[in-house]
Amino acid sequence: MDELTREFLIESQEGLDRMERCLTELEERPQDSELLADIFRSVHTIKGTTGFLGYTRLESLSHAGENLLGMLRDGRLHANAEIISTLLELMDGLRAILASIEAEGSEGEGDDRAMIERLIDLQRSDGEAVLPQTAQTDAARLASGPGDKLPGDKAPGDKAPVERRSLHAVPKTARTAGEENADVENGAVKAATSAADSTLRVDVDLLNRMMNLVGELVLTRNQILQTTSADSGFAPLSRRLDMVTADLREAVMKARMQPVSHVFSKFPRMVRDLTQQLGKRVRLEMEGQETELDKSLLEAIKDPLTHSVRNAIDHGIEAPELREGAGKPAEGLLKLRAYQDGSHVVVEVVDDGGGIRVERVLDKAIERKLVTREKAAQMSERELLQLIFLPGFSTAAAITNVSGRGVGMDVVRNNVEKIGGKVEIESHAGKGTTLRLRIPLTLAIIPALIIRSRGQSFALPQGVLHELVHLSADQTREQIQWLEKSPLYRLRGRLLPLVFLGRMLHQHEAAAEGVGCYIAVLNADGRRFGLVVDGLADPEEIVVKPLSPVFKQIGLFSGATVMGNGEMALILDPGALAVRASIAISSEDEEQAAEQSVKVEKTGQEFLLVEAGAEQMALPLADVLRIERIPRGRMERVGHTAVLRFQGMVLPVEDVSGIVGQKHEEGDEMTVVVCRDGSRHVGLAVSQVLDVAEGAALVEAGTDVVAPGITLLKERVTSVVDLGRIPALPSEEPEATLEVAV
Amino acid sequence: MNAIREAESKASGEAGIEICSVRAGATTFGVPITRILEILGAPAAKPVPLAPSFIGGLVHYRGEVLTAVSLRSLLDLPAQEGASDVLVLESPAGCFGLMVDAVGEVMTVQPEWIEANPSTLDDRRKALFAGACKLKDGLLVMLDPERLDPMRLLH
Repeated sequence: MDELTREFLIESQEGLDRMERCLTELEERPQDSELLADIFRSVHTIKGTTGFLGYTRLESLSHAGENLLGMLRDGRLHANAEIISTLLELMDGLRAILASIEAEGSEGEGDDRAMIERLIDLQRSDGEAVLPQTAQTDAARLASGPGDKLPGDKAPGDKAPVERRSLHAVPKTARTAGEENADVENGAVKAATSAADSTLRVDVDLLNRMMNLVGELVLTRNQILQTTSADSGFAPLSRRLDMVTADLREAVMKARMQPVSHVFSKFPRMVRDLTQQLGKRVRLEMEGQETELDKSLLEAIKDPLTHSVRNAIDHGIEAPELREGAGKPAEGLLKLRAYQDGSHVVVEVVDDGGGIRVERVLDKAIERKLVTREKAAQMSERELLQLIFLPGFSTAAAITNVSGRGVGMDVVRNNVEKIGGKVEIESHAGKGTTLRLRIPLTLAIIPALIIRSRGQSFALPQGVLHELVHLSADQTREQIQWLEKSPLYRLRGRLLPLVFLGRMLHQHEAAAEGVGCYIAVLNADGRRFGLVVDGLADPEEIVVKPLSPVFKQIGLFSGATVMGNGEMALILDPGALAVRASIAISSEDEEQAAEQSVKVEKTGQEFLLVEAGAEQMALPLADVLRIERIPRGRMERVGHTAVLRFQGMVLPVEDVSGIVGQKHEEGDEMTVVVCRDGSRHVGLAVSQVLDVAEGAALVEAGTDVVAPGITLLKERVTSVVDLGRIPALPSEEPEATLEVAV
Repeated sequence: MNAIREAESKASGEAGIEICSVRAGATTFGVPITRILEILGAPAAKPVPLAPSFIGGLVHYRGEVLTAVSLRSLLDLPAQEGASDVLVLESPAGCFGLMVDAVGEVMTVQPEWIEANPSTLDDRRKALFAGACKLKDGLLVMLDPERLDPMRLLH
């Protein structure tokens, strides 16, 4: 296939994608002239290029469509359900031909006459029904409209902000070309075509390669940083390298990001078709479409999401009569929601349908011999719900051609787990179901805690890590309790099953005597347990390298990585560790109880107790992101504010006790607590991190008023740091005034 | 890579096979140098807990994590004290490492010097070895990277 045809195919697909989005929106706002103009342009562009390339079927089809759309756009005709359906069919027809061109290089055999006739019929049918007023305003809007309107001008939420970034800013190019044609035809003023010049189409393979290379660079940078920390002359250079690498990594990652609207945008049409087919009424709400995700991940969740949406409409949302009978509005609600949660993007499919009835799940599972009755009797409700993820499970009473062929949730789960994500399901009978896909932001680089076991390092993905408990040698002896052969630890009054990593890995060397251990409290897919390890090293951002399939049967490692010091570490798979140790999924009640017990015990919040100079202060633990030990030389200044470059950002660092300014030797380290204050991040320079403890609210004597800004922490009145008072960075450009602090 | 290609053309030109000799325990082995991508001198190998016994560990090779097969373990010899050298070998399934006690020299041998495995060899060794090469001062056990591929060894 020649370059020109390929370009044409890509542009046409993009045009049709846009057309599809607009058409479903048109159903709600049939008078919207901007939408109509947009659709017109998509078809017009295809027509223009096809004639040139000699695709006659495409040309005649798009020509008929264009005429109809032209009438709609000019207000000579009004969009109704019939017209929209026909236009959607037209679009499918065009797509089919494009697919044939892509696969076989020709338009294929096919008869489009019926379609073309219908398109022509529709032009006649209500040619009279014109509202002159609307036509006029529409025309006026058009004249001033599309040419000088940039995507950014749209009201937020008005339409999916699809055309924002270079990778997919490509549609913009196609569109601008379309606009030009359309505008020239209208004699309208053409403007703002320069957007086309500022974007570039990039091969995804090239981006993948760049990402890999950046991964390598990150590794090398880590190694250089560790080697050069000893040599003072080299330090500024390696700091610079550190900074550039971080920025480069971020930039390459950004280039690969696309908003989830790319996937979401096809759902309105799908929901429309499905509901008509099934005789249901469903309103689709979409939230957080601007949330961005790595392109390859976005591709990977397309199918699972489609499956989930089908399931929700087919099995979840009930028929209108049933809904009314249950006292719910006849129209069901399907909500697609995407948001970023730390290093993950969460995509939720929420329906307000009948929910999953656990008894039916159980019956079906027993019928399909997926579980025995005896085993099921011991399972919690939450565990039973997980059964729907087993291969060959489907609860649909009738097999419909929409879903329910026994492939479904297991495929969803497999696909999501393949990319390092997780699927969670929550369901309340009669109220609805929430399916939650938790997707890592990027594939290649993950934050991990490096732990040590019998002298060997392992990487533990930080996503599953809840907290760390250190036990001294004495405490290890006293506080780890044994129930028969099961080691347990009392964590805030509740028993936590323990897994000794060294034993699990059959590392036979004896643990060093007289030293304590660490318990990493993990929650892997609802399995809560404590992983007992010998020691901890610093957290690191690790580049995940695949392991040879030879190690597949071990099943406990998800990959390997090369750490900053050049040492290799295996990446532990916490879920597999839990399963190997037969840790059960904690029931929801149990988890809630755990949370409640924490809440009851601690009247207030949890605080991180730190020492800054002579003073002890408390930081709300919920706001603490990380505790960083950094070489003092890394502190820099902007004006009078100490700043720290941290993960590619500049962080203002509050220095209450003058720690930053203290005299120090080369190589001295200091501690900075990185906190979240609303949406910004701030740092706090401290001399020491003391403890985590629950604070109690204090009531001022003689009043009922809770004293603000202080808390009772470990029997001591402690002031709580008000993060909001840490000043923002000076507004002048920080780079220009960066100075290394002395 | 270039070096290998050169060697290959040279080998075919002179009708001899260039072989790199390596040692494990008391035995000397020969690996055709066209199959060797690189020789890593005493790299830090990382053991993999619970791995099959013939795995010597993981080795860092050009940013990738390379799985190394231990020739000693394959021959049921006790692990060597101190560091081992690793040959990076190419096999149809991908690259892997071969951990040996020491790397010797490169020599040219004639194809007719090589004979099939003697029938008295135990089955396991018959499967691993690719014949014996008669040298003036002794025998060289020929190794074929394909037979040493970890995935193959697993089955």
